Amino acid sequence: MIINFKGAKTYIGTGGKSLDNTKKTLCFLHGSGQNHLSFIQQARFFAYKGYSVIAPDMPGHGFSDGNPCKSIKENADWISDLLVKLKLKNVVVIGHSQGCLVALELNRILKSTLEALIFVAGSNEIPVNKFLLDLSKENPQKASQMMVTWGHGIDGDMSINKWPGHSHYGEGNNIMSMNKSTALRYDLHSCDDYSDGIDAAKNIKVPALAVLAKNDQMTPLKSGLKFVELIKNCETHTLDCGHFLPSERPMELNSIINSFLLKLK
Amino acid sequence: MSENYKFDTLSLHAGHIPDKETGSRAVPIYQTTSYVFNSTEEAASLYNMEVGGHLYTRISNPTVAALEQRLAALEGGASALACSSGMAAMHLVISAICSSGDHIVASSKMYGANINLLQHTMPRFGVNTDFVNPNDPEAIKKAIKPNTKLVFGEVIGNPGLDIMDVPEIAKICNSKNIPLVLDATFNTPYLMQPFKHGANIIVHSLTKWLGGHGIAIGGAVVNGGNFNWGDKDKFPTISGPHFALGGISFWEEFGPSALIAKIRAEGMYNFGPSLSPTNAFHLMQGIETLPLRMKKHIENTHSILDFLVKHEMVEWVKHPDLDTHPDHEVAKRILPKGSGSIVAFGIKGGREAGKAFIESVQLASHLANVGDAKTLLIHPGSTTHSHLSSEAMKEGGLTDDMIRLSVGLEDINDIKKDFERGFKAVKKLNK
Repeated sequence: MIINFKGAKTYIGTGGKSLDNTKKTLCFLHGSGQNHLSFIQQARFFAYKGYSVIAPDMPGHGFSDGNPCKSIKENADWISDLLVKLKLKNVVVIGHSQGCLVALELNRILKSTLEALIFVAGSNEIPVNKFLLDLSKENPQKASQMMVTWGHGIDGDMSINKWPGHSHYGEGNNIMSMNKSTALRYDLHSCDDYSDGIDAAKNIKVPALAVLAKNDQMTPLKSGLKFVELIKNCETHTLDCGHFLPSERPMELNSIINSFLLKLK
Repeated sequence: MSENYKFDTLSLHAGHIPDKETGSRAVPIYQTTSYVFNSTEEAASLYNMEVGGHLYTRISNPTVAALEQRLAALEGGASALACSSGMAAMHLVISAICSSGDHIVASSKMYGANINLLQHTMPRFGVNTDFVNPNDPEAIKKAIKPNTKLVFGEVIGNPGLDIMDVPEIAKICNSKNIPLVLDATFNTPYLMQPFKHGANIIVHSLTKWLGGHGIAIGGAVVNGGNFNWGDKDKFPTISGPHFALGGISFWEEFGPSALIAKIRAEGMYNFGPSLSPTNAFHLMQGIETLPLRMKKHIENTHSILDFLVKHEMVEWVKHPDLDTHPDHEVAKRILPKGSGSIVAFGIKGGREAGKAFIESVQLASHLANVGDAKTLLIHPGSTTHSHLSSEAMKEGGLTDDMIRLSVGLEDINDIKKDFERGFKAVKKLNK
């Protein structure tokens, strides 16, 4: 659905179902240079399971207008305000990559609204190398292509896809090219600048789930495992794939998330 | 470790990794119509397009999917869909994009069945086409109307071998927000990848060079993922609510793969032109050697061009790699590896000479296909167009002395010897 939010056209994927703010809401937060299409196989899946789903395109991403946020905190404030505007309660925040950092900040902001946190290919920090930061300014298309290549495991290299006929690389490059040209640069700098992850992780009081990827080259498994140790009682799973876990292992991820959600009161 | 594998490697590997259960190195042939659901919930997920997977082979199949993913990788597309023939692929694209009242701009120099579909069949369903010279970008621009929904052409025209200036035409289409759909059968992704030149959708007859062995009919649609379908007034059945799946917007839900998602949900579901898993396997076997074959096809083509151009019995030779071809400069720019292995030539002596030549060669096969590993010939004047007068053939861009040659992979000297046998028969006839 498209709404006018903070003076800009804002797109919010709802998984093909109407938004119902009386239900438990799953809020999917995309990663750097991505948009709602990162969660093609999660948004519809959970919307058809009876959850209310929102997968917003952050400003300047996907179908949303506006200028991209310049920090993780700004991203979190934007989401927090969006939840208020949509009158959503009982929200489970599901972040992928950069979306995990935004989720950590939302944990600080949201009070009773937040019911649980799910981190997919996440960490408490996402340092970005200078080469990629510079390239995202000089040649965002090239930077996107490199991220798509690094971000996928062997399924990307070999054009293997659970969705018949789809290509991780071809889809990934085109999804990233839908964003404003400055979106990736601001996202990567936001990640690189973020340094409050340790404190934020230690302060998590709601149930938490982390699903990590064995062959993750963007947020390496080692970093993810250190991250989950900071969170009290974080249920942790590791899948055999690359960073783009939602499209590389959709059924396994959905099954883990579904089981976790069923355990929530 | 991530790799950007190169074309030759992708031709062999893309779309398949040996499974842990059997270790089968070759892509298994999943000769099945249907798939057991683990639960009613899983079945519903597949029907609702919540997740990817297989529910019925008319819609998708694991062997066919391996072929599709290989094609997407080779073309650099977002997604692909394989179907029963190249013509099925073309119809799937048109029916996915156009509705009654819509308009198409198409090349006037295309394969007869492509022309027939657009000129005679689609108007019965309210979709009309204006045909224009594919070498004239300005004419294409002028032909575009407010209700034009796509521009269609062949990268290398069949049988005239006209070359479309793809980058120029793509610019026009892009400025009008209209997808450029190209039949790329004659070039294959080895010679030219149209998405790199701005095209949006590719259709292939896999029967030809991609399959390469004349044993299986198949087609494919490859989607570049580089077209914005967001104009709900122009593309209401892709970006607006569709009758399927509770009013789904394919554009919002699938973004770059919206077109393929729609074709699978509507075209394959309602029309059903599915590719058999066994044919998908055969076609993939062909693709494994595509780079090697195309290289040899081009080498042999260039050698036979030299032979024909110099031959006393040959009246004329047409191929875009010859500097006498009107589109030679465009061909050099967009097809630097070569402009395919179809050659048209005329034999001195007209229609009877052509007939005598065809009936005297032994190695080259006289048949209607192209793109086989074996050398193929046809003489339209005595076969496909024998009912037409010389004048009528000329109007269609053909001459009664014309031989269409699909250069194969045999030893080039054997092909030349075989042709000399044909020319000898023509000489006798001319005496």
